[in-house]
Amino acid sequence: MPIAFKKNRAVFQDEVSVEEAEGLLEWLQKRSAAKVDLSACSHLHTANLQVLMAAKIEISSWPRNIELRAWLEPALKS
Amino acid sequence: MKASPSNPLPSNPLLEQFLAESHELLEGIGQKLMQLEDAPTDQSLVNELFRMVHTHKGNSGLFTFPEMTRVLHAGEDLLGEVRNGKAAFSRELADRLLDAMDFVGLLLNEIESTGRIDASRAADSARLAESLRALLAVISVSATIDPAGSTPVIAKSAEATPIELPPLSEIPEALRIEAFRRCGGGEKFYWIAYQPAPECFFQGDDPFHRARQTPGLLWGSILPSEPLPPLAELDTYKCSLKFHLLTAGFHEELVEHFRYVPDQVTIVAVDPLWLAISECEPENTFRIENDLVSASPVSAPERSLEFTEETAALTQILTVQEQILALEDRPAWLCGRLKAVAAVLKNLANSLGYAEAEGQIEASLAAAVASARGLPLLEWLNAHQSQFTSRLVAQSAENAGQASAEEVATSAVATPAADDGIKFGRRAEDNQSGPRSLKVDQAKIDRLMNLIGELVVEKNALPYLAQRAEAQYGVRELSREIKGQYSVINRIADEMQDAIMQVRMMAVSIVFQRFPRLVRDTSRKLGKEVRLVLEGEQTEADKNIIESLADPLIHIVRNSLDHGLETPEVRRACGKPETGTLTIRAAQQADRVVIEIIDDGKGIDPAVIKQKAYVKGLIDEATLERIGDQEAINLIFAAGLSTAEVISDLSGRGVGMDVVRSAVQKINGTVAIESELGKGTSIRISLPLSMAVTQVMVIESDGQLFGVPMDNVVETIRVPRSAIHAIKQSLTAVLRGRIVPLKSLNTLLGIPSLPLPNSDDELAVLLVQAGSEVLGLMVDSFKETIGLIQKPLGGFLNGLSAYSGSALMGDGSVLMILNIRKMV
Repeated sequence: MPIAFKKNRAVFQDEVSVEEAEGLLEWLQKRSAAKVDLSACSHLHTANLQVLMAAKIEISSWPRNIELRAWLEPALKS
Repeated sequence: MKASPSNPLPSNPLLEQFLAESHELLEGIGQKLMQLEDAPTDQSLVNELFRMVHTHKGNSGLFTFPEMTRVLHAGEDLLGEVRNGKAAFSRELADRLLDAMDFVGLLLNEIESTGRIDASRAADSARLAESLRALLAVISVSATIDPAGSTPVIAKSAEATPIELPPLSEIPEALRIEAFRRCGGGEKFYWIAYQPAPECFFQGDDPFHRARQTPGLLWGSILPSEPLPPLAELDTYKCSLKFHLLTAGFHEELVEHFRYVPDQVTIVAVDPLWLAISECEPENTFRIENDLVSASPVSAPERSLEFTEETAALTQILTVQEQILALEDRPAWLCGRLKAVAAVLKNLANSLGYAEAEGQIEASLAAAVASARGLPLLEWLNAHQSQFTSRLVAQSAENAGQASAEEVATSAVATPAADDGIKFGRRAEDNQSGPRSLKVDQAKIDRLMNLIGELVVEKNALPYLAQRAEAQYGVRELSREIKGQYSVINRIADEMQDAIMQVRMMAVSIVFQRFPRLVRDTSRKLGKEVRLVLEGEQTEADKNIIESLADPLIHIVRNSLDHGLETPEVRRACGKPETGTLTIRAAQQADRVVIEIIDDGKGIDPAVIKQKAYVKGLIDEATLERIGDQEAINLIFAAGLSTAEVISDLSGRGVGMDVVRSAVQKINGTVAIESELGKGTSIRISLPLSMAVTQVMVIESDGQLFGVPMDNVVETIRVPRSAIHAIKQSLTAVLRGRIVPLKSLNTLLGIPSLPLPNSDDELAVLLVQAGSEVLGLMVDSFKETIGLIQKPLGGFLNGLSAYSGSALMGDGSVLMILNIRKMV
C-alpha cells in the first residue's frame, strides 16, 4: 500500500502511483485537518501532487529524498 | 501517444539509400579530416567538411536514430566553431571527430545488420557527444554570448502556448547567479515551460516524473496551470499543473527527453543577461519579449534555413543591430548610432530588393531620434525581420536557378518538420550534373559475366560444326561460310567480354583510400612519424581481385609500420630523416597489376630470420647453414614466424605474412620480398588483371585432355628419351644447362600408363613453375592454348586438390584444369 491512511495522517511510501489519487482525494475531502507524511516517499504521481496542492494540506514531514523535497517544498508550503 | 517503434524495416528503400549515402559521407568526412590535418587553415575544406557532417546529421534525423544524430550534431557544432574561426583545427580535434565518425560507422553497420540501434549505444553516444562538446568548451575562444548562433528557441510547438517571459525571477537568486557564472564558462542554459496536456494521465503519462528526469536539471518549480478549484470540485484525472525548469543540458538531449510531448514544452535558450537581471525591468522585459517573439513559430521557415551561410550572416547582422538598439546607455552620440543602424538596415533592404522598407526605416529613425531611444527602430526591425529572410531566400533561389529551386522546395517541405529539429541535407550539386554513373547490383554484372561466358563457349562450337559440315557432309561452301560467321561472332563476343570486364574493373584507390587513416592511426599509436605516398591509384583491376587485395595489403602495411619503420629517435641516430616514408605503388604491367609496398625502415636481418626459423623448428640445422640471405628473407612467408620482439596489438602474432601469401596465391598472384638491412623493405605483389578469363594450355595424357594455366607454363620442349636420366627414383634431364626434375603427369594423377613418345622417340615435356621450383611434366602431346572461363569445382569434387577448376570446351566436353602447385 503506497499510502497508509492513519487517523488523521496519510503516510506516503516509495512511489505513489496515479491509482492512489482518487482515494487520496476522497480521504482528504472527508477531513478538514489532515496531515501528510512524505518522509518515505520517493516519487508521487502528478495526480497526487495536484490533490495535495489543491488541499493546501499541512506536510508533517518532508521527503527524505532531498531532490524531491526541493521540488515539493515551494509548491506545497502555503 | 507512445512513439512508433524505432526499428524501420531493413527493406525500407529510404533507409537503404540513407545507409549507402552515409557510408559515402563517412568516407568523405574521414578524408577531409585528414586533408585538414595537412592544411588546417583551408577554409574551403572546413566548409566542405561541415557541410558533409551537417548533411549526414540531417539525414540521420529522418529516422529514429537519436544516438547517431546526437553524436553528429555535436560534431557539427564543433566544426561550426572551427568554420566560424572560433576554434582552431587541431590533431586532437581530428582524433575526436574521427572517433565519433567511427562510432557512427559502427551504428550504421548495426542498423544494416539488425535494422536498429541497440539501446546500449545510447550511453556511448551521449559520452562521445559530451566529449566533443567538452572539447568545444575548451577550445572556443569566446564561448559566452554568441549573437549569430543564438536563435533562442530550440523546440517549439506549432500550436504555441502564448509566449510568456521566462519568469527567471522565480529562480532563487543564489542559483541564478551560479548559473550566470557558469554561462561565462561556456555552458548553455535552457528555460523550459512544460505545460502537460490536461488528459495526459489517461495516456499513462506522469509529467512530474518527466520533469524530475529532465537532463541537466538545475531548478524546477511546480505551478498550477489555472487556479486550483476547491478540493470538492477537483478532477483528479485532469492534469492542472505545469512546470518551469532551468537546465544545463544539451538541447538535443532536452528535445530527446521531451520527444513524446514536443507540443507541450517550450524550450528557450537562456541569454546570460536574463540571469543577471534580478527583476524584469520594463526595458529589459521588452528586449526579452522581442527575443521571444523573434523566436516564435513565425520564424520557423527561417530556422529551417539557418545553416545556409547567407541566412546566418543576415541573422547575425540583424541580431547585432538589435543589440545595438537595445543598449540602455544614452551617450551623446546616440543620434549618430541610430542613424548608423538605420543605414545598415536600409542597405540590407536595398540589396534584397526590399523597396518599401526604406520609408518605414526613415520614419522609425525619425521617431527614434525624437525620443532619443532605439525603441521605435527596434520595434520595426522585430516586426519585419522575417521579411529580410524570406527575401534572401527568394533572391538566392532566383540566382541559383534550377539548383536551388530544389533547395527552396526542400525547405518548404522541411518547414513543418523543423520543430523536430529535422533538416534535410541539401546538396545543390546533386542535381546539377545529372547522374554520370550507375549503381548496379553486382549480381547483375555477374549474370552478364556468366552469359558472356556461355556465349564464348557456344561460339567455340562453330568451328567444330564447320569441320563436320566439311568432313561428314562434304559441303565445303557451307563450312567456309560458317567459319566466316564464326570470326564475326568471335570478334563481337571478344569485345563484349572486354566491355563487361571493363564494367567490373575498379581502381585500386578503393583499397588505397583506407590507408591514410590506417597509417595515421597506427603510426601515432606507435609514436612514429610516417609519410604515406600513394602512387598509381587509378590502376584498375577486376573487382574481385581488388577486394581480395585489401586484407593482405593491410597486413603488409601494418607490418611495415610496426616492424619496418623505426621511431624518430632511432632514425635520427641512423642518420635518416625522422619521418619515415611508406610508399604504396600500383601499376599495370602487361596483363598483371603490380603493387609494391616500400618502406625506408630498418629492413629485415636475414640472420635474425634464420635464427628464428631454426628456433621455431621451421628449418633444420643443415638448412640454417646452407640458405642464402634472400632465401632467409623469404622465410618470413613461412607460417608461424614472427620477428617482433614483443607481440603488439598491431602485428607480430606470426600470422601475418603466410596469410598474405596464401591470400595472394588464391587469386593467382605472387608475392616477393626484397630487403636491405638498414635501408628498407620492398614487397611486391603481382596479380592478374582479371580472374574471369584464364589462358590455358591444353595437353593430352593417356588420351585425356587437361588444361594447365599459362601462368605456370615456362616452356614446352621435346626431350629425347635417351637424354633422361634416372637418379635413384627420380628422373631428371639437363635442359639449357641445368638439371630439371621430371615427373610423369600420369604418375601424379595415378594413371598407370607410361608417357607416350612420338615417332622420333622424344617425350613431350612441359616445364612448369611450381612455387619457386621449375619442374618438367612428361605428357603425351601439346595442344592449343585457349582462353576460357574457369568454374570452380562444386560439391564432392571440391576436395580434389589436383584440379583448380573445370571449363567447358567448344565441343561440349569438360576440360579439367590442373592445379600445378598443389599437385607437385
